[in-house]
Amino acid sequence: METSETGITRREFLGLAGGLMILVSVPRAMMEVAEGAAPAEDINAWLLIAPDNSVTVFSGKVELGQGIRTSFAQMVAEELTVPFSSVEMIMGDTDSVPPDGGTYGSLSTRTVGRRIMAAAAQARQILTDMAAEKWGVKPADLVVTDGRISLAKDPTKSVTLGELTQGERITHTLPAEPTLLPVSEHKVIGKPLPRVDGPAIVTGAEKFVGDLRVPGMLYGVVLYPPSFGARLVSIDSAEAQRLPGVVATVREDEFVGVVAERQDVAAQARDLIKATWQETRHPAQGSLYDDLRASGAPDGTVVNDASVPTALASAARSFKQTYRTSFLAHAPIEPHVALVSVTADGATVWVSAQTPFPHRDAVARALGLAAPQVHVFVPRVGGGFGGKENPSLAVMAARLSRAVKRPVLLALSRAEELTWDLFKPAALIDVRSGVDAAGRVQAWDCDIYNCGARGAEPPYGFPKHIRTLRCNSPLAQGSWRGLGGSANTLAIECHMDEMASELGVDAVEFRLRHLDNNPRLAKTVQAVAAKYGWKPRRAPTGQGVGFACAVDSGSCVAEIAEIDLDRSTGVLRVRRVIAAMESGLVINRDGITNQMEGAITMGLGMVLREAVRYENGKILTDSFAAYRIPTIKDAPAIETVLVDNPTHPPEGAGEPPLFPIAAAVVNAFFDASGKRVRQIPLLPETVLAALKA
Amino acid sequence: MADQIAFRVNGTQHKLAVDGARSLLSVLRTELGLTGPKLGCGAGQCGACTVLLDDRAARSCVTPVSAVAGHSVTTIEGLASNGKLHPVQEAFLEAQAMQCGYCTPGMIMSTVSLLRRNPHPSEAEIRDALAGNLCRCAVYQRILSAVQRAAQKMSG
Repeated sequence: METSETGITRREFLGLAGGLMILVSVPRAMMEVAEGAAPAEDINAWLLIAPDNSVTVFSGKVELGQGIRTSFAQMVAEELTVPFSSVEMIMGDTDSVPPDGGTYGSLSTRTVGRRIMAAAAQARQILTDMAAEKWGVKPADLVVTDGRISLAKDPTKSVTLGELTQGERITHTLPAEPTLLPVSEHKVIGKPLPRVDGPAIVTGAEKFVGDLRVPGMLYGVVLYPPSFGARLVSIDSAEAQRLPGVVATVREDEFVGVVAERQDVAAQARDLIKATWQETRHPAQGSLYDDLRASGAPDGTVVNDASVPTALASAARSFKQTYRTSFLAHAPIEPHVALVSVTADGATVWVSAQTPFPHRDAVARALGLAAPQVHVFVPRVGGGFGGKENPSLAVMAARLSRAVKRPVLLALSRAEELTWDLFKPAALIDVRSGVDAAGRVQAWDCDIYNCGARGAEPPYGFPKHIRTLRCNSPLAQGSWRGLGGSANTLAIECHMDEMASELGVDAVEFRLRHLDNNPRLAKTVQAVAAKYGWKPRRAPTGQGVGFACAVDSGSCVAEIAEIDLDRSTGVLRVRRVIAAMESGLVINRDGITNQMEGAITMGLGMVLREAVRYENGKILTDSFAAYRIPTIKDAPAIETVLVDNPTHPPEGAGEPPLFPIAAAVVNAFFDASGKRVRQIPLLPETVLAALKA
Repeated sequence: MADQIAFRVNGTQHKLAVDGARSLLSVLRTELGLTGPKLGCGAGQCGACTVLLDDRAARSCVTPVSAVAGHSVTTIEGLASNGKLHPVQEAFLEAQAMQCGYCTPGMIMSTVSLLRRNPHPSEAEIRDALAGNLCRCAVYQRILSAVQRAAQKMSG
């Protein structure tokens, strides 16, 4: 069932392919994914089993470093019962993979991963049936091992999967409940296999978009406005045009760019352009949280339990606090980059992006082309974190390429990357809660300004009323590893911790008391406490140990942070983190712990140091010297626990481990100092002020 | 503006007619096609462009190519010899000390430089030596372990 939009190229592709192509059409009902990101089309997992018994898997997801090139291949190798080394992944290539909304939201494994796993199981079933028919036996008389089907009674009678296919092509609709192998038979799934791209990475052979060279290619730069919202009044590019090596200066409406033989020449020429701009006024950063509150307009209700107002009014004890987080930059080490070749027939786009299909559609729209005339290929992404979803850079590269009729590579400078990012929204979160005489929370009332609903609902079994408010943001905003989830978790878990210490209850015990509704999370909390050797404690103890937990993307995660606090300088260092996660079936044990360690260490930037600073519509934190992400000096010792639940389907793991870490550190600061801080980052001046308060 | 600049790269002598003020990184990536060293910041603040200049780690994005005349440059591409990975490359693989991989070449070159100067670095010395190499995927714990593993391999 190919759709008309992309059908032609895919049919061409299929025409070239011998062997058994399994097209799995996924029923729409199964395509429900979070954040309304359901792909628009039906065919969602393809496998090609070639006569030589090699297997190719096609996915619209892209490799950002999260490891799905490896883990997806493991899923297919397992369910198809073929050697891992015989599975090749084709990813992020719009001419040959099923359409896909993008690689974000910790969705890859729990949506497409589950589907290709089911598709592989289905293919195994189909091939077993074919062999049974061929030999006149029952499918139950056959065994499949290592890509070969044989008769159980007489293993000398056997055939490879590839030999069976003989150029046939079969389309199947995935059954609602595909028959997967029992966990007890897993040989590849769960193994800590090394990443397949590792050898190319350590030798420098791995090609990122900026490493690609195509004949006739040129280099572009864009003239960005001096401040947000500035309008171009006039421009004189005569001098820029004269610089040797400059091919063209391009102006289309307010878009101005230069194309040259080399990157540095293009940048020099851009700096020679005389442009005048009309700038606008911008609110000062100092009034950010007041501005957010003042502009907040009701946006949605996450949950509304009618008992909350009464319970708050009659509570034995009530609490009311506000939590604040800062704007954050994605700051991938690879800045945004696109290489676009526009020809008379269409366009080819190589881009470092999380969203190949939305890029295809955006470039097609900008050039007035039909989507199938644009071929987008994402070879690899040097870090995404939610920052490489917007197609604007590829569109600009396409405009430059169209103007000069040659391929143009357009890469952002570090300052441009840190300025024209779509920042993680700053958040302002009000929480009011009420506790009964027995120390049970009876009401949770929460207003979330500016950061949205992700992770807004506490995982605990108490009545809640939670609203989100849309605000006027002074900066352009976007996703950032879990959207507002880490900010919301900060508010939830700091508030839980605050209630626990005020009530004189151990922090872990207080959480568990409210987790009868969520046995998976309760088990995860117990696992991290056991690993740490957590003893009931009454904070603040002076030791600097903090706890927090969260549920996100189907995964449960709980973390304990230990900090060292320098009371004279206000410098806080996270010494050690213990983290437990339950993510359902674990596909690659090492890959998932790598995600946990990375997410936790990245999250330390959010809680300790990172904050975008701005003034008059300009970003002040436009270098790594000014926007200080974690370094190896910040890296704590991290111990991870994977809580076993293999009969639960595999869940998302890229973002959830980042959610609790900020709260765990803030709670550890309270445990060390007896002082509550409700705004991050915990810069030394913030820490010193809190210690004095 | 073109100058004749002679220097060795990965064991091969080159003589290039290039503007000596250009960055070594730009020349390596453009004229010599060596794209292992990456551009991350252009200001010597992230370490993705790290190469060895003679025996020492250098940020090639802020090193004018004129400064390497008569010297020897090693990039990540020149680290393996006769198809055999350098022990530091092996150690990074064994520790799976990478995610997106963009910082990895620079991280490895900084490690090679460190271990040449200090074959048995303490954990604090490793952290000091690699503090200028940024990894946004933040796999630092594994990088630390890879460096320790490499030190062991090279002394053993």
